[in-house]
Amino acid sequence: MTEELKFGGHISRQFDEELDEIRSRVLKMGSLVEEQLEKTLTALREMSPASISGVSKLDRKVNKMEMKIDEECTQILAKRQPAAGDLRLIIATSKSVRDLERAGDEAEKVAHMVKRALENDTSPNLYKGLQDLVEQVEELLHATLDTYARMETRSAVHNMRLDQAVDAEYGRVIFRLVEIMKNDSDSVSDALDVMWAARSLERIGDHCINICENVIYLVEGEDVRHTKFKEIEDQLS
Amino acid sequence: MTERFQTVGNPLLEDPKMRVRNASVFYADKQAIFDVDLDIGKNQVISMIGPSGCGKSTFLRCLNRMNDTIDICRVEGQLELDGQDINDRKIDVVELRARVGMVFQKPNPFPKSIYENVAYGARIHGLTDNKVQLDDLVEQCLQRCGLWKEVKDRLHEPATGLSGGQQQRLCIARAIAVNPEVILMDEPCSALDPIATATVEELIHELSQNFTICIVTHSMQQAARVSERTAYFHLGKLIEVNDTSKVFTNPEHQLTEEYITGRIG
Ligand SMILES: Nc1ncnc2c1ncn2[C@@H]1O[C@H](COP(=O)(O)OP(=O)(O)OP(=O)(O)O)[C@@H](O)[C@H]1O
Ligand SMILES: [Mg+2]
Repeated sequence: MTEELKFGGHISRQFDEELDEIRSRVLKMGSLVEEQLEKTLTALREMSPASISGVSKLDRKVNKMEMKIDEECTQILAKRQPAAGDLRLIIATSKSVRDLERAGDEAEKVAHMVKRALENDTSPNLYKGLQDLVEQVEELLHATLDTYARMETRSAVHNMRLDQAVDAEYGRVIFRLVEIMKNDSDSVSDALDVMWAARSLERIGDHCINICENVIYLVEGEDVRHTKFKEIEDQLS
Repeated sequence: MTERFQTVGNPLLEDPKMRVRNASVFYADKQAIFDVDLDIGKNQVISMIGPSGCGKSTFLRCLNRMNDTIDICRVEGQLELDGQDINDRKIDVVELRARVGMVFQKPNPFPKSIYENVAYGARIHGLTDNKVQLDDLVEQCLQRCGLWKEVKDRLHEPATGLSGGQQQRLCIARAIAVNPEVILMDEPCSALDPIATATVEELIHELSQNFTICIVTHSMQQAARVSERTAYFHLGKLIEVNDTSKVFTNPEHQLTEEYITGRIG
């Protein structure tokens, strides 16, 4: 079974270059989403909203890149009529940039909510739990981009495990928030804000997993969406 | 002797129209096809692809014994049409070639009228000699090939006056006039423009309702569009046979992948 796909080596070197270009753009786009999360994390660590400036600008860049990459994928489909692995690369990429774009939107939401919480002197009790979650999601996103860059399935499966940890952490954050709300009804409004932020972070994890599934499809030619994690693991081992 | 090469995918079928086992072809002492096992499904389109010189035409010619016409060419192995050995001495080659018709890369109409091109085969194969029946047959075949409207007022003009695409469709009309069971096509569209190509492809699709079609093509997109199964040849070996949808999205063999993605030519 293939575990890594090699691109390049086409008779048309120009085609190789076009594919390389697309792949490096996707990574660039992903790094912009990472940057959004990083800014949020810094703000939480320093308990200051200062670092969360320019997040919306980053997100606009992410949106532009999505359109650009989509356009390039369309061009390649029209000009090169790619087949097999090349075709799967284009399909997987054009799906993955949608997920990255949506992850970018969620990251922007999180940043704004954290900013608001910090500016409004929301009790740190409420949002301090987010820090671990942001860290974990950032790690997952980073690992996902790495998986996409290397086009291999083993790490894709590993990332699914990271996402399970994200889900568990999300559950703990929510549980804690509910406890706080139960004891302090004045906190409900602020707590709900934090809850939405947590929810967005959890969604980013899901987008990462979609990307990993795309990479598995790309490498193996198998569609593993809507397949239980255990089955995927068995299938690929 | 080296170990026998194993084709990947699904080269064999249940109840095939043609069955090929262990086929090898030699030109003098140079081997061009190596131990091919392949079944060709009834009323299906199968395409043969592969780099130039890999043996597609040679293989195709085995299926109606056209290789017999090449002196230095020798075919080994078992080839069956409906379970009947086509190399059997009792087989009449002329009749075999009527049952397994062929369309070539370059349209090659006879230097006769459009009408005669279609009627000729039917007449010599003794299908009919009756004027009314022949008229009927000619119209029917030209209709099926989408040529009738274009030529009905000039049926008795020379076929060579038709455009390339029209000539190729005429050759297909000529091939189906003798009511073959299998039609072999060796790059039938390589001399045609995109519109004529699309018409011929549409025709192939229609014909596959009633005929078994094997098509050799250099256009990957054409193979993807017209055929249900695709066979990939490389240096005389049958590397992979699979459903066309699989071959073009997720081929099993590395060589197939390299060829269809344009890494080997
Ligand atoms: N009449 C012949 N005499 C000698 N060798 C031949 C003859 N016809 C074909 N060959 C050789 O047999 C091999 C297969 O040729 P064939 O024509 O079957 O390839 P092909 O796949 O149809 O190529 P193309 O895509 O260029 O039409 C080649 O090495 C070719 O040189
Ligand atoms: Mg040929």
